[in-house]
Amino acid sequence: MKFVLIDRILELESGKRIVAQKAVSLAEEYLADHFPRFPVLPGVLMVEAMVQAASWLVFQALDFAPSLVLLKEARNVTYKSFVVPGQVLTIEAVCHELSPDRSGFTGRGEVEGREIVRGRLTLRHLDLASVDPDYQEVDARLRTAQRALFSLLWTDGRPGGRSVKS
Amino acid sequence: MATLPRQEVFQKVRQALVEALSVEESEVTEDATLTGDLQAESIDILDIIFRLEKAFNIKISQEELAPRDVLSNPEYVNNRKLNAAGLAVLKQRVKHADWSKFEQDPDIDKILDVFTVGTIVNFVEDKLAAAN
Amino acid sequence: MRWIWIDRFEEFVPGRRAVAVKNVTRAEDCLHDHFPGFPALPESLLIEGMAQTAGILVGQARNFEEKVILAKIKQAVFHRLVRPGDQIRFEAEIEQIHDAAATTRGQIRCGQEVIGLVDLVFSHIDQNISGLEFPEDNFVFTDEFMALLKTCRPDGLQRVVL
Repeated sequence: MKFVLIDRILELESGKRIVAQKAVSLAEEYLADHFPRFPVLPGVLMVEAMVQAASWLVFQALDFAPSLVLLKEARNVTYKSFVVPGQVLTIEAVCHELSPDRSGFTGRGEVEGREIVRGRLTLRHLDLASVDPDYQEVDARLRTAQRALFSLLWTDGRPGGRSVKS
Repeated sequence: MATLPRQEVFQKVRQALVEALSVEESEVTEDATLTGDLQAESIDILDIIFRLEKAFNIKISQEELAPRDVLSNPEYVNNRKLNAAGLAVLKQRVKHADWSKFEQDPDIDKILDVFTVGTIVNFVEDKLAAAN
Repeated sequence: MRWIWIDRFEEFVPGRRAVAVKNVTRAEDCLHDHFPGFPALPESLLIEGMAQTAGILVGQARNFEEKVILAKIKQAVFHRLVRPGDQIRFEAEIEQIHDAAATTRGQIRCGQEVIGLVDLVFSHIDQNISGLEFPEDNFVFTDEFMALLKTCRPDGLQRVVL
């Protein structure tokens, strides 16, 4: 999996707030380009992690009614510091608007209690088949994949239910 | 450009802050501090300076708010705190801020914390007057 | 997955404007997960494409003497999905440039259609961040990026000394 930017979901208040984590490792190959001799998590991947965290809140709250949740708008995303390999970025997304086709969040990321990034996100929710009925099967496969990934991220993040050890 | 009434300057400054910081208009009061009440980061201060330059057709350097020659001068700074001489120079150079609280703990890394919305409005007004 | 989100420069006016092109292909790593069965270029990577286009524009304006990094996304707005086979263009302009920072605004086009807007603030980190240690050399403008600038057609490249 190359573009799953959330490793675990730690907390989820349905429709309200989600806390998730992304661990950063030198094993992530793009770090060799960003930057050579100074590997740091790219700022846009912090945005992506916030978008993915917020998306899981949307999927869970709407019971996977949309087949896709996408970033519509990011506003005033500020970066305070860097995240380096070996650190874990904890993302919090607080939902202040949620309707069937859009949602609004304030996202934050922190490392060891220090704020690294903060911004406002607007997401849009799509159901491909309602735009074009030929996409019904694609929608079905998307929903199955989203449900499975959510279940894994949620289960891996639950205290006590953390990743099966034996 | 004819000098604007203060209320108009305030409204344009408020607009810049609302857009840069995603805050509500109601949060932008005269006494609100930029980095405290409005939670501006240092990059937001630079963003705000750019927006004010555009809105008022003036040039602002961050030096005018936080003069590096004072803040990095070993004659004025000990252990990242301004001494009495440094404070005197600062107060003279940056007239609009209320330095009384800062004087109690003159930490150079906290210098931007003194700036209120009102300070910025006064600063812009002065620049507009000087341009005429 | 590499971290280069533009393929070629089409236009480069020093200190003013740059246009870079990116092809989107099913063969890209990130499209495998985004999304399974329905590849679409992530919006966050569209932001990065603009950041790389605009960042090189800002860096070149200061002769690549400073490390220019993305410090703030003022706004990024997206109107349309980007799919494999699309060719997108990042059109970036420098808005303001100071010692410590620069602002840029930009449009993303697919064909003639404007599909996104991205306005950014870049910081020149040697000037700004205290207490953090960086390597001396300019690790931001890698050989790959410098080579990209040379891809610009002669008629699109104006007075750049590389």
